[in-house]
Amino acid sequence: MLDSLGQFGSAFAGFLSFSVLLTVLWATFLGIVIGALPGLTATMGVALMTTLTFTMPHREAVLVLICIYVGAIYGGSRSAILLNIPGTPASACSTLDGFPLARQGLAGRAMGISTSGSWLGTLFGTLCVATLTPFLAELALTFHSAEFFWIAVFGIVIAGTLSGGDPLKGYLAGFFGLWVATIGQEPHYNYQRFAFGSTEVAGGIGLLPALVGAFGVAEVLQAMRAPAATAVSSTIDSVLPRIRDVMKYWKTILRSGAIGTFIGILPGLGEDTAAWSSYAAARRASKEKEKYGRGSIEGLMSAETGESACVPGAIIPVLTLAVPGSAPAAALMAAMLIHDINPGPMLMIQTPEFFYQIVAMLVIADMSKLLFGLTLVRPLLWILLVPRERLMPVVFVLCTVGAFAITSRIFDIYVMLFFGLVGFVLRELKFPMAPMILGLVLGELLESNLTRALVLSDGSIAPFFTRPLSGTLAAITIFTVVWSIPSAQAAVRRFVGTLLRRSA
Amino acid sequence: MTETPPSSVLPHEEPLPPRYDLWTAAVFFCIGVAIVWLAWQMPTYEEQQGKIYTAPGLVPALHGIVIAGLSLWLGLRAITRGALRAGRGQERPPREGYSDTRLYLAAALCLIFAVGLVGRLPFWLAAAIFVFSFTTLFEWQRGAPARERVRRLAIAAALGIGTGVVVTLVFERGFLVRLP
Repeated sequence: MLDSLGQFGSAFAGFLSFSVLLTVLWATFLGIVIGALPGLTATMGVALMTTLTFTMPHREAVLVLICIYVGAIYGGSRSAILLNIPGTPASACSTLDGFPLARQGLAGRAMGISTSGSWLGTLFGTLCVATLTPFLAELALTFHSAEFFWIAVFGIVIAGTLSGGDPLKGYLAGFFGLWVATIGQEPHYNYQRFAFGSTEVAGGIGLLPALVGAFGVAEVLQAMRAPAATAVSSTIDSVLPRIRDVMKYWKTILRSGAIGTFIGILPGLGEDTAAWSSYAAARRASKEKEKYGRGSIEGLMSAETGESACVPGAIIPVLTLAVPGSAPAAALMAAMLIHDINPGPMLMIQTPEFFYQIVAMLVIADMSKLLFGLTLVRPLLWILLVPRERLMPVVFVLCTVGAFAITSRIFDIYVMLFFGLVGFVLRELKFPMAPMILGLVLGELLESNLTRALVLSDGSIAPFFTRPLSGTLAAITIFTVVWSIPSAQAAVRRFVGTLLRRSA
Repeated sequence: MTETPPSSVLPHEEPLPPRYDLWTAAVFFCIGVAIVWLAWQMPTYEEQQGKIYTAPGLVPALHGIVIAGLSLWLGLRAITRGALRAGRGQERPPREGYSDTRLYLAAALCLIFAVGLVGRLPFWLAAAIFVFSFTTLFEWQRGAPARERVRRLAIAAALGIGTGVVVTLVFERGFLVRLP
């Protein structure tokens, strides 16, 4: 215990220099701006900034990316409150009560609630990172190949089921992503799969160009197609959070923090699911349900706390299993790999100091977010009013640089364009994007562990079902798929109902 | 107001006519079958004592089978929901304020920049031309006074040159990143 506190202390002390604090400030501010601008998302921000930071020392680079991530998720609420358009998908829920508050002339109060909820949410999630990660990492060390295989499949299934919309389309998107991950040289014989003689394709599909395409280019196209946004007001009342609001809704804050962190830990779901789940739970438990959707302080607080608690939550599976909890966490994980940091069960053994540094980074980013939330209101309002006709071409230029810069291949720009088109079309067809990106990330984990487990068992698939942990994961995965079929769900409910009636 | 978010925010909240799902299923089915067929053609390396479970085509084939199976499920579900029935409800209702012309113009400009200009011109110049053209075309208003047009052209030019120069300086000089 004392040793851990000492490690946390030295991790914090390591960041207390002028240059690092300056880095924290510009990165968090940039993150808030990225999040606030409709069309720019946290995933895109983290993916693009990976390019800018890959010549930095790894500790500073990850610090910048975490500040961008934390800032962007918070920044999305600005446009949600003032424009009724969420800056990031995570802030969609905040429009429900944030915008009505702004229309009542309470935009400043809404932003104050958003700031306090978001700050407390990230703090709660960070506390969970500090306490849960060591236990989960220890549990992950007992996992064998069969368990890792099921973790990958479960990730796709749960992301497909819960990331919004149609689970069937989520599974399709996830398995499409898994297939894309198999393109290029395979690990055993260096055979070039689906390359059709192209040396570029044989090199594989980079995660970052795909992310920039699916979340950047597709967003540019969507923003240009959609109608232009207008701000609800140009005058803002006081943005100072009221202690009374926080004290009155402390139960909501704790509940939303716990839900947000839990959703974050589940692979691939992310902040939007966390915000909607926290909002729904708060509404169910509320004594003032009628205010929801008409400018409820509690509703806005729950959404903001949930989405912001999800950020640290999504980092927990990255650190323990090398499985991202959200799309921006996938970009963060890719950045860690580029910087020779190997996330996963061995991280706590090989580089335990990095875990403590991550906790310190989250706390510092959260504090910086609070500072900007209280001070930079008017400049952010001006930024929000930049017309998309001027903003989007600049965003596309940055996307091009971001896709190219990691490996300096023009081919990666074409990959970005391809995934931009695929992302746009699939979204129009109501496919969620998170499972596809998760499939791309988990493809290697799934394949290597499937073949390793088969080699160890000499081709038998029994260990996938007979090992206790593996069998449990398999059962949960299969149950999740079955539960997503409405007729199967009804049959299970009928069966359970009959059983209960008989036992009564 | 309800809990349903605005359609532009979470488009998957709006139901899609079943015929769209049928076409999507057909495309995914073709992709799944093509993956399985291509995976089947891959060598198994049995002559090098390779086992079937380390064959390069095994995992992609499994993915292909799942994709084909899921797309069949999607297609059958679309049919049961009336995808083959002619008449109303098969076309997507137009969304207010959305413009396909703007979409195609943006896509064309992005394509020209990424495929036609990048790598052929110095990056700052390619970026400047792209940003200038994009902003000018989208902000152009027929019948606007000449003075207003000149003002918008000046803003677009400043934005274009500014983007080209700032991106080049920040990425290449500041962060030592190679530009295309």
